[in-house]
Amino acid sequence: MSALPQSPPSAPRRPSPGSRHLRLAGQRLFSVLLTLLGLLLLTFLIGRVMPLDPVLSIVGPDADRSTYQQVYHQLGLDRPIVVQFGYYLRDLLQGDFGNALLTGHPVTEDLARVLPATIELATLAIIVGTLLGVPLGVYAATRRGRLGDHAVRLISLMGHSTPIFWLGMMGLLVFYAWLGWAGGLGRVDFAYDGLVKPVTGLLLFDSALVGEWAVFGSALKHVMLPACILGLHSMAYISRMTRSFMLSQLSQEYILTARVKGLPERTVIWRHAFRNILVQLLTIVALAYGGLLEGAVLIETVFGWPGFGSYLTSSLLLGDMNAVMGSVLVVGTVFVALNLLSDALYQVFDPRTRQ
Amino acid sequence: MNSLRSLGARALSASLLAAAMTCAHAKTPDDQLIIGVSMNNLLTLDPASATGNNVVEIACNVYDYLVELDANDPTRLLPGLAQEWTIAPDGRRISFKLRSEARFHSGNPVTAEDAAWSFRRVLKLNLAMASPWKSYGFTAKNIDQLIRATDAATLVIDLPQPTDPKIVLYTLGTSVSAVILDRKTVLEHDKNGDMGAAWLTTHAAGSGPFVLDEWRAKEVLIMSRYTRYWREPPKMRRVIMRHMTESQSLRLMLTRGDLDMATGLSVPDIEALKRNPEIDVHSVKRGTLYYVAVSAKDPKFADKRVREAVLRKLVDFDGINKSVMPYYGVYHQRPVPLGLTATLPEPGYQFDVVAARKLLADAGMPNGFKTTIRVVAESPFTNIATNLQSTLAKAGIDASILPGTGNQVYGAMRERNFEIIVGRGGGGAEPHPHSSLRALVYNPDNRDAAKLTNFQGWRTSFSDPELNQLIEGGLTQRDEKKQTELYVEAQRAFDADVPAIQPVSQMVDTVVLRKDILNYVGHPSVTTRLREVSKQR
Repeated sequence: MSALPQSPPSAPRRPSPGSRHLRLAGQRLFSVLLTLLGLLLLTFLIGRVMPLDPVLSIVGPDADRSTYQQVYHQLGLDRPIVVQFGYYLRDLLQGDFGNALLTGHPVTEDLARVLPATIELATLAIIVGTLLGVPLGVYAATRRGRLGDHAVRLISLMGHSTPIFWLGMMGLLVFYAWLGWAGGLGRVDFAYDGLVKPVTGLLLFDSALVGEWAVFGSALKHVMLPACILGLHSMAYISRMTRSFMLSQLSQEYILTARVKGLPERTVIWRHAFRNILVQLLTIVALAYGGLLEGAVLIETVFGWPGFGSYLTSSLLLGDMNAVMGSVLVVGTVFVALNLLSDALYQVFDPRTRQ
Repeated sequence: MNSLRSLGARALSASLLAAAMTCAHAKTPDDQLIIGVSMNNLLTLDPASATGNNVVEIACNVYDYLVELDANDPTRLLPGLAQEWTIAPDGRRISFKLRSEARFHSGNPVTAEDAAWSFRRVLKLNLAMASPWKSYGFTAKNIDQLIRATDAATLVIDLPQPTDPKIVLYTLGTSVSAVILDRKTVLEHDKNGDMGAAWLTTHAAGSGPFVLDEWRAKEVLIMSRYTRYWREPPKMRRVIMRHMTESQSLRLMLTRGDLDMATGLSVPDIEALKRNPEIDVHSVKRGTLYYVAVSAKDPKFADKRVREAVLRKLVDFDGINKSVMPYYGVYHQRPVPLGLTATLPEPGYQFDVVAARKLLADAGMPNGFKTTIRVVAESPFTNIATNLQSTLAKAGIDASILPGTGNQVYGAMRERNFEIIVGRGGGGAEPHPHSSLRALVYNPDNRDAAKLTNFQGWRTSFSDPELNQLIEGGLTQRDEKKQTELYVEAQRAFDADVPAIQPVSQMVDTVVLRKDILNYVGHPSVTTRLREVSKQR
């Protein structure tokens, strides 16, 4: 047996930046999957202990025992919970979220229908909320303790504490019933219902895509009022947070230095202080957006908006666990994605995090 | 605080009315009927499994029935797909002659075999709507022999047990399970032997005046005119049912003219709309009853005197019907609905604390007791429950209200796990005393193990063999006079026995519509047909 040539002892190798990133990405992916699995398990267990009977939702209160038992069996509820969860995960991995009791359609189809409706509403709302909230917050911070600050605080307080349901009703009364500016309930006038075949499900986009400008106009008229009311709610939160972030920056020494150097106040505020709160602000806006996606249920109810919030609430009240689990998975994924996005943006805007 | 709220509500109400008067009216298209309605309970369109009223309103416009019930006199049968029918002298066979000109929306002819298959399908799937047929003795096993087509135009139904054929005909004219399906089209969508159940959940295969275009759950249902309908085609080109749950939103849209009709409005909104000269309000009596029930399994309520105190002396029947029930129900205390020959005059139970206290004292509970009231958390149930809570308190009964969804409340009742419940039910779709008595009072086996969950009599754990016999006797008696006597006797026995369920009010459905809508006739059995509806513009 010949001796193998001995390799010289080498210094411990440092992982290359590429493999470090890969490892980090793997860790992040693992933690995301674990989070979603935990969320699903928790929702599944809560669904099973909730005092709601999906069988009764299907068969109605007057069904006899044999019908009840038959449907109970068909839904697989006679299996142990662990087995039920196992089957659910197996189907989920194959892209099958199951059928919703509420609609009779596969949950994926339902989500593809209701999510774009809410995304359209929430996106416009967050744009309104950010465009109003950020300047107001900055303005309030620069007028700390003065009339302007108090006025913004009052507006924020009203925006945050006024029930959104009531705002919706009042909005309908004034802008729909009195002035006729808003388009009433639903996503589009009844006469236009079904005229545009959904491509993305975003009606504004789809109608513009096929050049149905009348439908586009009607859809815009319908979405603006609920979006503004939802935006008002987000504006309150965003402006308060902006003010708070700005105040902490404005008390920093580098701001003093900038002022001492004689920089115009506008430059000090927007180029120096505001730039440094961008990262935190992005997180706040992203979380507010996520909140709008699943929390617009009241405004969806008032405006007859067939969106995700209404779908989730109705499914929950019905004990429709396939729909609830699918919706929860979407909400979880949205929040995780927004967190990841905000982490990524941290790296873009804050050079220190790139180390 | 309450007065502030009330002031706020009035201010809102006044401003809504002002808006209604001042706003410029939009108009719905002349040839489309736009209806605002809550479709919360619409989970499927499959006639074998669809429960609730929503689906009946849709089914009777998309499908045809063999027979129809006259909306103005529901005891009068009118021809549907069957142009004539005969009942055998012994009452055990009904033969139908189907019209030859009827075509399904697919273009397939409507045949007796389609009709037989439609009924067999309901029994074989054994879903929610098999219930009425099972109560007449049909089963998945005997249905093939009992319901059959003898030729393309003749359908024969043999009744498996002595049953008044009238009630079977009424079921054929009212139950969603009695619509005639296009067998060939449905079977084209059969999936693993489900007889098209998955497909029919969201589609339809009928021969009715309207074709189902699209149903998006909790959003919209669109039907369009069937131009080859065997009767004259409908006046409206399209009917759009919009899912809407907010009463004030419905009111705004009605006043602006963006809706032609709406249901499910709150009482203040209906009152306000009544003052609008462009709006009409139609109320239709249903056979369903609002009731207060107790569990006779509970030792307290096992005592007849306590039941009498709680159900007959401590319910403020007048107050509830005057203050809570307008547009929801009308005063009624009998287990047989108003308007039937057999229905006795009201017994006149009155709120009487002194009599109630005496009954409770006689039962050994002079200081009352603690209890719970389960109630569906929506109007008018919660209003009845709070009224009952306050009247019970006057006799020392401390009742906590447990609000819940329909699923939770009736689920607990089905499990016999309740003390007091405020609910609604009792059949009543068929204009026949048996329909309500069977649902509310009949209980042939009171054991827990019997699990007769479809009978409210069983759910309340109350059973009286004499009452059961009278109900059974009424169903088999074909002589109308004798049958009426049996039902009268059953109501008297109900009076004397103090069963564990007490009707408070008979359901009324209120529809608000714009004045330019013509020929809308609400049907007591919910089969409101829209084929004649038009607009005067």
